[in-house]
Amino acid sequence: MKGVERKSGDLEGLFKGLLDKKAVDCLILPHRVGNNVAHMMVTDKEKIESPVPAIFAPSFSVNAANVVKGWTIGEKIGIVAKPCEIRAAIELIKLKQMDKESALLISVDCSGAFTNQDYADHAEEIGDWVDSAKVEELKGKGIAIREACEICDKRLADVGDIGIVRRDGDNVTVVGITDMGVEALSAIEDISLEDKDIDRSEETEKIVAEAKKKKEALPEISSVEALEEFLRDCIVCKNCRDMCPVCYCKECFFDQPLGNPVGGDLLNIAELRGAIAVPANQLMYHLTRVYHVSTTCVGCGACEDACPKDIPLTRLYPVIAEKVQEIFEYVPGKDVEEPLPFTVYEEEELEDKLR
Amino acid sequence: MGEETTKEEEEEFEPKIVGFTCNWCTYAAADLAGTSRKKYPPNSRIIRLMCSARLDPMFVLKALLNGADGVFFSGCHPGECHYIKGNFYARRRIAAIRTILKQLGLDNRFKSYWISASEGEKFANTMKGLAEEIKELGPSPLRGKVL
Ligand code: SF4
Ligand code: SF4
Ligand code: SF4
Repeated sequence: MKGVERKSGDLEGLFKGLLDKKAVDCLILPHRVGNNVAHMMVTDKEKIESPVPAIFAPSFSVNAANVVKGWTIGEKIGIVAKPCEIRAAIELIKLKQMDKESALLISVDCSGAFTNQDYADHAEEIGDWVDSAKVEELKGKGIAIREACEICDKRLADVGDIGIVRRDGDNVTVVGITDMGVEALSAIEDISLEDKDIDRSEETEKIVAEAKKKKEALPEISSVEALEEFLRDCIVCKNCRDMCPVCYCKECFFDQPLGNPVGGDLLNIAELRGAIAVPANQLMYHLTRVYHVSTTCVGCGACEDACPKDIPLTRLYPVIAEKVQEIFEYVPGKDVEEPLPFTVYEEEELEDKLR
Repeated sequence: MGEETTKEEEEEFEPKIVGFTCNWCTYAAADLAGTSRKKYPPNSRIIRLMCSARLDPMFVLKALLNGADGVFFSGCHPGECHYIKGNFYARRRIAAIRTILKQLGLDNRFKSYWISASEGEKFANTMKGLAEEIKELGPSPLRGKVL
């Protein structure tokens, strides 16, 4: 693997260089907004803030991939984001919602993120970067990372075209993962790439084991009654859909008359059944969405963050999606060349899953 | 149907089953079962699809949420699809939706079969078996709910 060493506070040149050398036409990356962190899209290299440690800040606002959903123009965009965001972008490429050639995906090591609210409230204490020890320490004080992050086992910057890897202290290694990534890095003047031997298997094992433990401890939704109770407060605002990076239909079924009946249609259904819950189709909406994201959900927790009723949607979407992903042995966002499970088949398979 | 069913009512329970079948095989098999006077229970309402691949898992969800006690799908045997590979794609979708339903304890209310046009008898027997299975399970927990 080709890479280059940097300090975490000294990455500005890298991003400026990407813009300067036209490796990308614009960059999406996190930046400081008061006590918090949000994304910005930059075309002018002088607007890159110095230093840029906000890219490591354990705060989650929007899934950056959601912003570029439908980026079908030729201009090249660089996305600097957490692994779950990069994995969502990779799914969007496979779903033809984005062109592979027009995205340079740069993943950044993640330690788990706090909600914007929690991060802003404790910004000073949390700082620009937390390691796992710090995550535990904060948890002891009642400041916990999002549930989606607790059960996330893919937090390392090993996806996309370039990875920004945290080493000890403030040492960082920037690696080219794909040819496109290596090429983009090589174009930057003050970067000379060296061969890097990065073995993170031990770290990965630890993360996977911890995430598994947390996952097993989550309350399960294991019956219709439990699901009804879980969704009791849902007002079918569909924010969870709108903020989901891999929910991509241009015209959602639930925005159309059948999925979102109004007036006479609504009354007709009520007449048919005697009584219906309103807003209509709450369960149908969620179960349909579970199915629609079942192979592509990257477990980013954006749906949960977006819910105005504080429904812990991580316990629904990523948890069930993972079970579907398991039967197809598919990991969303892992490999841009791997076909989506519903677009391929084996002649002999799955017979034990049909009846 | 109320929450508490008496024993008698349970014995009388006749499940409502919604079936989706492919035009080229199972739908013809149902016809064949009829014309050759093979008896099977009348619990199923059959909806004809032009291909297995037309089965949108949303149909299954909708039937269940509207209170069907059971749902089934039946199409041509893998490798014998009228459109060559429709049922291969369908099989993946079915496996996925059943995995989701399993989480909610509903997977035993949605079954899939492969029944060709010449298998009238298999169709009748399958329907018999399915009706018994669903009867055994009792009414769907979603029946009569305000959803
Ligand atoms: S889901 Fe994973 S990659 Fe995404 S913010 Fe949380 S820990 Fe990081
Ligand atoms: S965001 Fe929350 S309230 Fe809105 S539809 Fe989703 S679960 Fe329901
Ligand atoms: S369903 Fe939720 S967790 Fe899964 S990709 Fe969409 S927003 Fe992220």
